[in-house]
Amino acid sequence: MEAFLDNCAKAIVAGDGGGAERLAGEALGSGLSLLQVIEEGFVRGIREVGRLWEEGEIFLPELVMGAEAMKKAMTVLQPALEGSDEAQESLGRIVIGTIEGDIHDIGKTLVATMLSANGFEVTDLGTDVPVARFIDEAEARNADCIAISALLTTTMNGQKRVIDELVKRSMRDKVKVMVGGAPCNEAWAKEIDADGYAGDAVSAVALAKGLAGKA
Amino acid sequence: MMKRNSLRDEIGKKVLLFDGGMGSMIISAGLGRNDVPEAWNITNPEAIIDMHAAFIEAGAEIVQTNTFGGSRLKLESSDAGRALDPVEVNEKAVELGRRALDRHGGEGCFLGGDIGPTGLFFPPVGTLTAREAHRAFKEQAQILERAGIDCFIIETMYDIREAMEALRAVREITDRPAFVEITFETKPSGYFTMMGDSPEKIAEPLLAAGADMIGANCTISSSEMIDLVEEFTLVTDAPLLFQPNAGNPAMEHGIPVYRQRPQEFADDIEKIVRAGASAVGGCCGTTPDFIRAVHDRLTHGR
Repeated sequence: MEAFLDNCAKAIVAGDGGGAERLAGEALGSGLSLLQVIEEGFVRGIREVGRLWEEGEIFLPELVMGAEAMKKAMTVLQPALEGSDEAQESLGRIVIGTIEGDIHDIGKTLVATMLSANGFEVTDLGTDVPVARFIDEAEARNADCIAISALLTTTMNGQKRVIDELVKRSMRDKVKVMVGGAPCNEAWAKEIDADGYAGDAVSAVALAKGLAGKA
Repeated sequence: MMKRNSLRDEIGKKVLLFDGGMGSMIISAGLGRNDVPEAWNITNPEAIIDMHAAFIEAGAEIVQTNTFGGSRLKLESSDAGRALDPVEVNEKAVELGRRALDRHGGEGCFLGGDIGPTGLFFPPVGTLTAREAHRAFKEQAQILERAGIDCFIIETMYDIREAMEALRAVREITDRPAFVEITFETKPSGYFTMMGDSPEKIAEPLLAAGADMIGANCTISSSEMIDLVEEFTLVTDAPLLFQPNAGNPAMEHGIPVYRQRPQEFADDIEKIVRAGASAVGGCCGTTPDFIRAVHDRLTHGR
Protein backbone atom coordinates (compact mmCIF):
# COMPACT_ATOMS: atom_id res chain seq x y z
CA MET A 1 0.00 0.00 0.00
CA GLU A 2 2.64 2.51 1.12
CA ALA A 3 4.90 1.32 -1.66
CA PHE A 4 2.11 1.68 -4.19
CA LEU A 5 1.35 5.25 -3.11
CA ASP A 6 5.06 6.04 -3.23
CA ASN A 7 5.22 4.74 -6.77
CA CYS A 8 2.28 6.95 -7.74
CA ALA A 9 4.03 10.00 -6.32
CA LYS A 10 7.32 9.02 -7.94
CA ALA A 11 5.72 8.61 -11.36
CA ILE A 12 4.50 12.20 -11.18
CA VAL A 13 7.84 13.57 -9.97
CA ALA A 14 9.60 11.64 -12.75
CA GLY A 15 7.15 13.04 -15.30
CA ASP A 16 6.39 9.46 -16.29
CA GLY A 17 2.97 9.78 -17.95
CA GLY A 18 2.86 6.14 -19.02
CA GLY A 19 3.73 4.95 -15.54
CA ALA A 20 1.18 7.25 -13.91
CA GLU A 21 -1.51 6.01 -16.27
CA ARG A 22 -0.62 2.37 -15.56
CA LEU A 23 -0.58 2.89 -11.78
CA ALA A 24 -3.94 4.66 -11.97
CA GLY A 25 -5.29 1.67 -13.89
CA GLU A 26 -3.95 -0.72 -11.26
CA ALA A 27 -5.57 1.34 -8.53
CA LEU A 28 -8.98 0.94 -10.18
CA GLY A 29 -9.17 -2.81 -9.64
CA SER A 30 -7.22 -2.92 -6.41
CA GLY A 31 -9.95 -2.16 -3.94
CA LEU A 32 -7.88 0.75 -2.63
CA SER A 33 -9.63 3.98 -1.83
CA LEU A 34 -9.25 6.00 -5.01
CA LEU A 35 -9.37 9.21 -3.02
CA GLN A 36 -6.47 8.00 -0.95
CA VAL A 37 -4.55 7.02 -4.09
CA ILE A 38 -5.09 10.50 -5.46
CA GLU A 39 -4.35 12.45 -2.32
CA GLU A 40 -1.55 10.40 -0.78
CA GLY A 41 -0.10 9.23 -4.07
CA PHE A 42 -0.49 11.42 -7.13
CA VAL A 43 -1.24 14.75 -5.43
CA ARG A 44 1.71 14.21 -3.10
CA GLY A 45 3.76 13.81 -6.28
CA ILE A 46 2.51 17.02 -7.89
CA ARG A 47 3.13 18.93 -4.65
CA GLU A 48 6.67 17.62 -4.63
CA VAL A 49 7.04 18.74 -8.26
CA GLY A 50 5.92 22.22 -7.19
CA ARG A 51 8.36 22.29 -4.31
CA LEU A 52 11.29 21.14 -6.45
CA TRP A 53 10.42 23.75 -9.05
CA GLU A 54 10.28 26.55 -6.50
CA GLU A 55 13.68 25.56 -5.18
CA GLY A 56 15.19 25.49 -8.64
CA GLU A 57 15.88 21.77 -8.52
CA ILE A 58 13.73 21.15 -11.58
CA PHE A 59 12.72 23.45 -14.46
CA LEU A 60 9.97 24.12 -16.95
CA PRO A 61 10.30 20.84 -18.92
CA GLU A 62 10.06 18.72 -15.76
CA LEU A 63 7.21 20.86 -14.42
CA VAL A 64 5.28 20.39 -17.64
CA MET A 65 5.94 16.65 -17.70
CA GLY A 66 4.88 16.28 -14.07
CA ALA A 67 1.64 18.13 -14.74
CA GLU A 68 1.01 16.06 -17.88
CA ALA A 69 1.58 12.82 -15.96
CA MET A 70 -0.87 14.04 -13.34
CA LYS A 71 -3.42 14.75 -16.05
CA LYS A 72 -3.02 11.22 -17.42
CA ALA A 73 -3.55 9.64 -14.01
CA MET A 74 -6.59 11.79 -13.30
CA THR A 75 -8.11 11.00 -16.70
CA VAL A 76 -8.13 7.34 -15.63
CA LEU A 77 -9.29 7.94 -12.07
CA GLN A 78 -11.86 10.72 -12.50
CA PRO A 79 -14.61 8.72 -14.25
CA ALA A 80 -14.31 5.87 -11.74
CA LEU A 81 -14.43 8.33 -8.89
CA GLU A 82 -17.57 9.96 -10.23
CA GLY A 83 -19.26 6.59 -10.46
CA SER A 84 -18.33 5.63 -6.90
CA ASP A 85 -19.51 6.84 -3.51
CA GLU A 86 -16.09 8.38 -2.93
CA ALA A 87 -16.79 11.95 -3.88
CA GLN A 88 -13.67 14.04 -4.30
CA GLU A 89 -13.98 17.36 -2.61
CA SER A 90 -13.56 20.09 -5.19
CA LEU A 91 -11.57 23.10 -4.08
CA GLY A 92 -13.68 25.27 -6.32
CA ARG A 93 -14.57 26.09 -9.91
CA ILE A 94 -12.18 28.22 -11.93
CA VAL A 95 -12.60 29.64 -15.40
CA ILE A 96 -9.24 30.39 -16.96
CA GLY A 97 -8.03 31.88 -20.24
CA THR A 98 -5.63 34.20 -22.02
CA ILE A 99 -7.16 37.61 -22.66
CA GLU A 100 -8.27 38.80 -26.11
CA GLY A 101 -5.54 39.92 -28.48
CA ASP A 102 -3.10 37.54 -26.85
CA ILE A 103 -2.42 34.02 -28.07
CA HIS A 104 0.15 32.98 -25.48
CA ASP A 105 -0.89 29.54 -24.40
CA ILE A 106 1.84 27.74 -22.50
CA GLY A 107 1.84 29.51 -19.15
CA LYS A 108 -1.94 29.60 -19.00
CA THR A 109 -2.26 25.92 -19.88
CA LEU A 110 0.32 24.99 -17.28
CA VAL A 111 -1.57 26.98 -14.63
CA ALA A 112 -4.82 25.28 -15.70
CA THR A 113 -3.20 21.86 -15.51
CA MET A 114 -1.66 22.52 -12.12
CA LEU A 115 -4.93 23.90 -10.74
CA SER A 116 -6.83 20.86 -11.91
CA ALA A 117 -4.06 18.54 -10.72
CA ASN A 118 -4.43 20.10 -7.30
CA GLY A 119 -8.17 19.59 -7.05
CA PHE A 120 -9.91 22.53 -8.71
CA GLU A 121 -12.59 22.11 -11.37
CA VAL A 122 -11.05 24.04 -14.21
CA THR A 123 -12.62 25.29 -17.43
CA ASP A 124 -9.90 26.37 -19.86
CA LEU A 125 -11.30 28.84 -22.39
CA GLY A 126 -8.08 28.87 -24.41
CA THR A 127 -6.44 32.01 -25.76
CA ASP A 128 -7.69 35.26 -27.29
CA VAL A 129 -10.74 35.14 -25.01
CA PRO A 130 -13.05 38.18 -25.21
CA VAL A 131 -13.82 40.02 -21.95
CA ALA A 132 -17.51 39.12 -22.07
CA ARG A 133 -16.81 35.43 -22.59
CA PHE A 134 -14.85 35.17 -19.33
CA ILE A 135 -17.86 36.50 -17.49
CA ASP A 136 -20.52 34.58 -19.42
CA GLU A 137 -18.67 31.31 -18.81
CA ALA A 138 -18.09 32.12 -15.15
CA GLU A 139 -21.78 32.85 -14.74
CA ALA A 140 -22.90 29.75 -16.62
CA ARG A 141 -20.62 27.49 -14.58
CA ASN A 142 -21.22 29.26 -11.31
CA ALA A 143 -17.45 29.73 -11.04
CA ASP A 144 -15.77 30.87 -7.86
CA CYS A 145 -12.84 32.40 -9.64
CA ILE A 146 -11.70 33.79 -12.98
CA ALA A 147 -8.01 33.47 -13.85
CA ILE A 148 -6.78 35.75 -16.60
CA SER A 149 -3.43 35.46 -18.32
CA ALA A 150 -1.84 38.30 -20.31
CA LEU A 151 1.66 38.06 -21.73
CA LEU A 152 1.83 41.43 -23.41
CA THR A 153 1.92 44.92 -21.98
CA THR A 154 -0.50 45.72 -24.77
CA THR A 155 -3.07 43.12 -23.71
CA MET A 156 -2.87 43.27 -19.93
CA ASN A 157 -5.41 46.06 -19.79
CA GLY A 158 -7.93 43.42 -20.80
CA GLN A 159 -7.57 42.02 -17.29
CA LYS A 160 -8.83 45.31 -15.96
CA ARG A 161 -11.70 45.33 -18.42
CA VAL A 162 -12.86 41.93 -17.15
CA ILE A 163 -12.96 43.32 -13.62
CA ASP A 164 -14.73 46.51 -14.73
CA GLU A 165 -17.29 44.39 -16.55
CA LEU A 166 -17.84 42.20 -13.45
CA VAL A 167 -18.54 45.36 -11.47
CA LYS A 168 -20.92 46.59 -14.14
CA ARG A 169 -22.83 43.32 -14.02
CA SER A 170 -22.88 43.40 -10.20
CA MET A 171 -20.96 40.13 -10.07
CA ARG A 172 -17.71 41.36 -8.57
CA ASP A 173 -18.49 40.13 -5.04
CA LYS A 174 -19.38 36.65 -6.33
CA VAL A 175 -16.23 35.93 -8.32
CA LYS A 176 -12.59 36.19 -7.34
CA VAL A 177 -10.18 37.32 -10.02
CA MET A 178 -6.57 36.26 -10.27
CA VAL A 179 -4.13 37.57 -12.86
CA GLY A 180 -0.81 36.39 -14.21
CA GLY A 181 1.61 36.64 -17.12
CA ALA A 182 5.02 38.15 -17.72
CA PRO A 183 4.15 41.87 -17.51
CA CYS A 184 1.91 41.54 -14.43
CA ASN A 185 2.89 41.84 -10.79
CA GLU A 186 1.38 42.48 -7.36
CA ALA A 187 1.17 46.21 -7.94
CA TRP A 188 -0.70 45.72 -11.18
CA ALA A 189 -3.15 43.33 -9.50
CA LYS A 190 -3.73 45.94 -6.82
CA GLU A 191 -4.10 48.77 -9.32
CA ILE A 192 -6.85 46.97 -11.23
CA ASP A 193 -8.46 45.64 -8.05
CA ALA A 194 -7.84 41.96 -8.79
CA ASP A 195 -7.87 39.56 -5.84
CA GLY A 196 -4.38 38.36 -6.47
CA TYR A 197 -1.41 37.88 -8.74
CA ALA A 198 0.64 34.74 -9.27
CA GLY A 199 4.00 34.72 -11.02
CA ASP A 200 4.01 31.04 -11.93
CA ALA A 201 1.88 27.89 -11.96
CA VAL A 202 2.98 26.77 -8.52
CA SER A 203 2.16 30.03 -6.81
CA ALA A 204 -1.09 30.19 -8.82
CA VAL A 205 -2.20 27.03 -7.01
CA ALA A 206 -1.31 28.54 -3.65
CA LEU A 207 -3.12 31.76 -4.54
CA ALA A 208 -6.24 29.94 -5.75
CA LYS A 209 -6.32 27.87 -2.57
CA GLY A 210 -5.98 31.02 -0.52
CA LEU A 211 -8.79 32.75 -2.39
CA ALA A 212 -10.96 29.66 -1.91
CA GLY A 213 -10.20 29.68 1.80
CA LYS A 214 -8.54 26.25 1.41
CA ALA A 215 -4.91 27.23 1.88
CA MET B 1 35.75 43.75 -45.40
CA MET B 2 37.94 46.08 -43.39
CA LYS B 3 35.24 46.57 -40.84
CA ARG B 4 34.55 42.90 -40.44
CA ASN B 5 38.16 42.16 -39.64
CA SER B 6 38.56 45.09 -37.35
CA LEU B 7 35.52 44.13 -35.24
CA ARG B 8 36.81 40.62 -34.70
CA ASP B 9 40.21 42.07 -33.84
CA GLU B 10 38.68 44.26 -31.20
CA ILE B 11 36.83 41.48 -29.41
CA GLY B 12 38.47 40.74 -26.12
CA LYS B 13 41.09 43.50 -26.59
CA LYS B 14 38.94 46.35 -25.36
CA VAL B 15 35.54 46.62 -23.77
CA LEU B 16 33.00 46.96 -26.57
CA LEU B 17 29.90 49.02 -25.87
CA PHE B 18 26.60 47.78 -27.28
CA ASP B 19 23.38 49.80 -27.44
CA GLY B 20 20.36 49.64 -25.11
CA GLY B 21 16.79 48.40 -25.26
CA MET B 22 15.19 49.20 -28.60
CA GLY B 23 12.02 47.26 -27.84
CA SER B 24 11.28 49.06 -24.58
CA MET B 25 12.05 52.41 -26.23
CA ILE B 26 9.60 51.70 -29.01
CA ILE B 27 6.96 50.77 -26.43
CA SER B 28 7.49 54.01 -24.51
CA ALA B 29 7.43 55.92 -27.78
CA GLY B 30 3.84 54.76 -28.22
CA LEU B 31 3.78 51.35 -29.90
CA GLY B 32 0.15 50.46 -30.60
CA ARG B 33 -1.73 48.00 -28.41
CA ASN B 34 -1.71 45.23 -30.99
CA ASP B 35 1.37 46.26 -32.92
CA VAL B 36 4.82 44.67 -33.03
CA PRO B 37 8.03 46.76 -32.72
CA GLU B 38 9.32 45.52 -36.09
CA ALA B 39 6.36 47.16 -37.84
CA TRP B 40 7.95 50.50 -37.11
CA ASN B 41 10.71 49.69 -39.59
CA ILE B 42 8.03 50.25 -42.22
CA THR B 43 5.58 52.65 -40.60
CA ASN B 44 7.87 54.84 -38.51
CA PRO B 45 11.38 54.55 -39.98
CA GLU B 46 12.56 58.00 -38.87
CA ALA B 47 11.86 57.14 -35.24
CA ILE B 48 13.98 53.98 -35.54
CA ILE B 49 16.86 55.89 -37.14
CA ASP B 50 16.66 58.50 -34.37
CA MET B 51 16.82 55.81 -31.68
CA HIS B 52 19.87 54.16 -33.26
CA ALA B 53 21.46 57.58 -33.71
CA ALA B 54 20.83 58.51 -30.08
CA PHE B 55 22.61 55.33 -28.96
CA ILE B 56 25.55 56.07 -31.26
CA GLU B 57 25.77 59.63 -29.93
CA ALA B 58 25.74 58.19 -26.41
CA GLY B 59 28.80 56.12 -27.26
CA ALA B 60 27.47 52.76 -28.46
CA GLU B 61 29.85 51.05 -30.84
CA ILE B 62 27.52 48.24 -31.82
CA VAL B 63 23.98 49.04 -32.84
CA GLN B 64 21.45 46.23 -33.02
CA THR B 65 18.88 46.17 -35.81
CA ASN B 66 15.20 46.35 -34.89
CA THR B 67 14.66 42.73 -35.87
CA PHE B 68 14.37 40.97 -32.51
CA GLY B 69 10.99 39.51 -33.47
CA GLY B 70 11.76 39.42 -37.17
CA SER B 71 11.93 35.68 -37.77
CA ARG B 72 9.05 34.28 -39.78
CA LEU B 73 7.92 32.06 -36.89
CA LYS B 74 7.79 34.97 -34.46
CA LEU B 75 6.05 37.29 -36.90
CA GLU B 76 3.45 34.65 -37.65
CA SER B 77 2.51 34.42 -33.98
CA SER B 78 0.58 37.72 -34.03
CA ASP B 79 -1.89 39.41 -36.35
CA ALA B 80 0.30 42.48 -36.63
CA GLY B 81 3.35 40.35 -37.39
CA ARG B 82 1.52 38.20 -39.89
CA ALA B 83 0.70 41.32 -41.86
CA LEU B 84 4.41 41.98 -42.33
CA ASP B 85 6.73 40.55 -44.95
CA PRO B 86 9.79 39.07 -43.19
CA VAL B 87 12.03 40.05 -46.10
CA GLU B 88 10.90 43.67 -46.13
CA VAL B 89 10.96 44.06 -42.34
CA ASN B 90 14.50 42.73 -41.96
CA GLU B 91 15.92 44.48 -45.03
CA LYS B 92 14.41 47.75 -43.98
CA ALA B 93 15.79 47.39 -40.45
CA VAL B 94 19.31 47.01 -41.81
CA GLU B 95 18.83 50.03 -44.05
CA LEU B 96 17.67 52.13 -41.08
CA GLY B 97 20.61 51.01 -38.97
CA ARG B 98 22.98 51.78 -41.81
CA ARG B 99 21.48 55.24 -42.26
CA ALA B 100 21.91 55.98 -38.56
CA LEU B 101 25.55 54.89 -38.76
CA ASP B 102 26.11 56.94 -41.91
CA ARG B 103 24.63 59.99 -40.26
CA HIS B 104 27.51 59.78 -37.82
CA GLY B 105 30.12 58.85 -40.37
CA GLY B 106 29.92 55.33 -39.01
CA GLU B 107 33.41 55.69 -37.59
CA GLY B 108 34.20 52.82 -35.22
CA CYS B 109 30.58 51.70 -35.18
CA PHE B 110 29.20 48.39 -36.31
CA LEU B 111 25.73 47.21 -37.24
CA GLY B 112 24.63 43.98 -35.59
CA GLY B 113 21.87 41.88 -37.11
CA ASP B 114 19.61 41.06 -34.19
CA ILE B 115 17.96 37.65 -33.94
CA GLY B 116 15.58 36.92 -31.06
CA PRO B 117 13.72 33.74 -30.14
CA THR B 118 10.76 32.37 -32.08
CA GLY B 119 8.60 32.56 -28.96
CA LEU B 120 7.75 28.90 -29.47
CA PHE B 121 8.93 26.01 -27.33
CA PHE B 122 10.57 22.68 -27.97
CA PRO B 123 8.98 19.58 -26.42
CA PRO B 124 7.85 18.80 -23.82
CA VAL B 125 6.68 22.39 -23.31
CA GLY B 126 5.70 23.01 -26.94
CA THR B 127 5.94 21.36 -30.32
CA LEU B 128 8.69 23.37 -32.04
CA THR B 129 11.13 21.22 -34.00
CA ALA B 130 14.81 21.90 -34.62
CA ARG B 131 14.15 21.93 -38.35
CA GLU B 132 11.40 24.57 -38.09
CA ALA B 133 13.54 26.80 -35.89
CA HIS B 134 16.56 26.35 -38.12
CA ARG B 135 14.63 27.22 -41.25
CA ALA B 136 13.18 30.40 -39.72
CA PHE B 137 16.54 31.57 -38.38
CA LYS B 138 18.36 30.80 -41.60
CA GLU B 139 15.85 32.79 -43.59
CA GLN B 140 16.20 35.77 -41.26
CA ALA B 141 19.99 35.51 -41.16
CA GLN B 142 20.19 35.38 -44.94
CA ILE B 143 18.07 38.50 -45.32
CA LEU B 144 20.14 40.38 -42.73
CA GLU B 145 23.41 39.19 -44.28
CA ARG B 146 22.41 40.19 -47.79
CA ALA B 147 21.16 43.57 -46.60
CA GLY B 148 24.60 44.29 -45.15
CA ILE B 149 25.38 43.90 -41.47
CA ASP B 150 28.72 43.62 -39.68
CA CYS B 151 27.93 40.93 -37.12
CA PHE B 152 25.11 38.84 -35.70
CA ILE B 153 23.63 39.08 -32.22
CA ILE B 154 21.49 36.12 -31.23
CA GLU B 155 19.85 37.21 -28.00
CA THR B 156 17.37 36.56 -25.21
CA MET B 157 17.46 32.85 -25.93
CA TYR B 158 15.71 30.87 -23.19
CA ASP B 159 16.48 27.47 -24.67
CA ILE B 160 20.02 26.44 -25.62
CA ARG B 161 18.58 24.21 -28.34
CA GLU B 162 16.97 27.20 -30.03
CA ALA B 163 20.13 29.31 -29.66
CA MET B 164 22.12 26.52 -31.26
CA GLU B 165 19.77 26.38 -34.24
CA ALA B 166 20.13 30.13 -34.74
CA LEU B 167 23.91 30.01 -34.45
CA ARG B 168 24.23 27.03 -36.79
CA ALA B 169 22.00 28.81 -39.30
CA VAL B 170 24.25 31.89 -39.16
CA ARG B 171 27.38 29.80 -39.48
CA GLU B 172 26.02 28.04 -42.56
CA ILE B 173 25.91 31.34 -44.41
CA THR B 174 28.75 33.46 -43.05
CA ASP B 175 31.88 33.58 -40.92
CA ARG B 176 31.06 37.07 -39.66
CA PRO B 177 31.40 37.62 -35.91
CA ALA B 178 28.39 36.10 -34.14
CA PHE B 179 27.49 36.71 -30.50
CA VAL B 180 25.01 34.67 -28.49
CA GLU B 181 23.24 35.89 -25.37
CA ILE B 182 21.19 33.46 -23.30
CA THR B 183 18.65 34.72 -20.80
CA PHE B 184 19.01 33.43 -17.24
CA GLU B 185 16.76 33.50 -14.20
CA THR B 186 17.94 33.60 -10.62
CA LYS B 187 16.87 30.48 -8.78
CA PRO B 188 17.62 29.51 -5.18
CA SER B 189 20.05 26.99 -6.67
CA GLY B 190 21.85 29.49 -8.95
CA TYR B 191 21.56 30.91 -12.46
CA PHE B 192 19.56 28.80 -14.89
CA THR B 193 17.59 29.27 -18.06
CA MET B 194 13.87 28.61 -17.90
CA MET B 195 14.74 25.17 -19.26
CA GLY B 196 17.27 24.47 -16.53
CA ASP B 197 20.57 25.08 -18.33
CA SER B 198 23.47 26.62 -16.42
CA PRO B 199 26.24 28.82 -17.89
CA GLU B 200 28.47 25.77 -17.74
CA LYS B 201 26.07 23.77 -19.87
CA ILE B 202 25.63 26.41 -22.59
CA ALA B 203 29.20 27.70 -22.97
CA GLU B 204 30.91 24.75 -24.59
CA PRO B 205 28.36 23.95 -27.32
CA LEU B 206 27.97 27.60 -28.33
CA LEU B 207 31.72 28.14 -28.59
CA ALA B 208 32.19 24.86 -30.44
CA ALA B 209 29.53 25.96 -32.93
CA GLY B 210 31.46 29.14 -33.66
CA ALA B 211 30.22 31.89 -31.34
CA ASP B 212 32.74 34.73 -31.08
CA MET B 213 31.31 35.94 -27.78
CA ILE B 214 28.78 34.41 -25.46
CA GLY B 215 26.96 35.86 -22.48
CA ALA B 216 23.59 36.86 -21.12
CA ASN B 217 20.92 39.51 -21.48
CA CYS B 218 17.43 40.49 -20.33
CA THR B 219 15.30 39.00 -17.51
CA ILE B 220 17.58 40.00 -14.64
CA SER B 221 18.76 43.37 -13.41
CA SER B 222 22.26 44.79 -13.69
CA SER B 223 23.03 44.05 -10.04
CA GLU B 224 21.82 40.45 -10.36
CA MET B 225 24.02 39.98 -13.39
CA ILE B 226 27.33 40.69 -11.65
CA ASP B 227 27.63 37.24 -10.07
CA LEU B 228 26.49 35.60 -13.29
CA VAL B 229 29.55 37.09 -15.03
CA GLU B 230 31.74 35.43 -12.47
CA GLU B 231 30.01 32.12 -13.03
CA PHE B 232 30.76 32.41 -16.74
CA THR B 233 34.43 33.16 -16.10
CA LEU B 234 34.70 29.96 -14.09
CA VAL B 235 33.64 27.84 -17.04
CA THR B 236 35.21 29.59 -20.05
CA ASP B 237 38.03 31.88 -21.12
CA ALA B 238 36.03 33.09 -24.13
CA PRO B 239 35.13 36.78 -24.52
CA LEU B 240 31.88 37.54 -22.68
CA LEU B 241 28.99 39.88 -23.46
CA PHE B 242 26.33 41.08 -20.98
CA GLN B 243 23.29 43.28 -21.49
CA PRO B 244 21.14 43.46 -18.35
CA ASN B 245 17.81 45.21 -17.90
CA ALA B 246 17.53 48.55 -16.15
CA GLY B 247 16.50 46.93 -12.90
CA ASN B 248 13.19 45.14 -12.60
CA PRO B 249 10.20 46.88 -14.15
CA ALA B 250 7.23 48.14 -12.18
CA MET B 251 3.90 48.33 -13.97
CA GLU B 252 2.25 51.70 -13.99
CA HIS B 253 -1.14 51.89 -15.65
CA GLY B 254 -0.28 48.93 -17.81
CA ILE B 255 3.06 50.27 -18.96
CA PRO B 256 6.36 48.85 -17.69
CA VAL B 257 8.41 51.49 -15.95
CA TYR B 258 12.09 51.00 -15.20
CA ARG B 259 13.05 52.97 -12.14
CA GLN B 260 16.78 52.34 -12.11
CA ARG B 261 18.88 55.41 -12.78
CA PRO B 262 21.62 55.52 -15.39
CA GLN B 263 24.33 56.09 -12.77
CA GLU B 264 23.27 53.01 -10.78
CA PHE B 265 23.29 50.99 -13.98
CA ALA B 266 26.79 52.28 -14.77
CA ASP B 267 27.93 51.30 -11.25
CA ASP B 268 26.83 47.73 -11.90
CA ILE B 269 28.24 47.64 -15.42
CA GLU B 270 31.58 48.73 -14.05
CA LYS B 271 31.47 45.71 -11.73
CA ILE B 272 30.39 43.49 -14.61
CA VAL B 273 33.43 44.63 -16.60
CA ARG B 274 35.69 44.10 -13.61
CA ALA B 275 34.26 40.61 -13.23
CA GLY B 276 35.43 39.80 -16.74
CA ALA B 277 33.04 41.09 -19.43
CA SER B 278 34.53 41.92 -22.83
CA ALA B 279 31.43 43.70 -24.03
CA VAL B 280 28.48 45.35 -22.32
CA GLY B 281 25.26 47.08 -23.23
CA GLY B 282 21.70 47.26 -22.05
CA CYS B 283 18.44 45.48 -22.56
CA CYS B 284 14.87 46.43 -21.54
CA GLY B 285 14.55 49.89 -20.04
CA THR B 286 18.03 51.10 -20.99
CA THR B 287 17.80 54.34 -22.92
CA PRO B 288 20.65 56.32 -24.52
CA ASP B 289 21.13 58.01 -21.12
CA PHE B 290 22.09 54.62 -19.67
CA ILE B 291 24.54 53.90 -22.48
CA ARG B 292 26.04 57.40 -22.10
CA ALA B 293 26.49 56.83 -18.37
CA VAL B 294 28.23 53.53 -19.07
CA HIS B 295 30.36 55.11 -21.78
CA ASP B 296 31.46 57.94 -19.48
CA ARG B 297 32.21 55.49 -16.70
CA LEU B 298 34.25 53.15 -18.88
CA THR B 299 36.19 55.83 -20.74
CA HIS B 300 36.56 58.57 -18.13
CA GLY B 301 35.86 56.70 -14.92
CA ARG B 302 33.03 59.02 -13.96
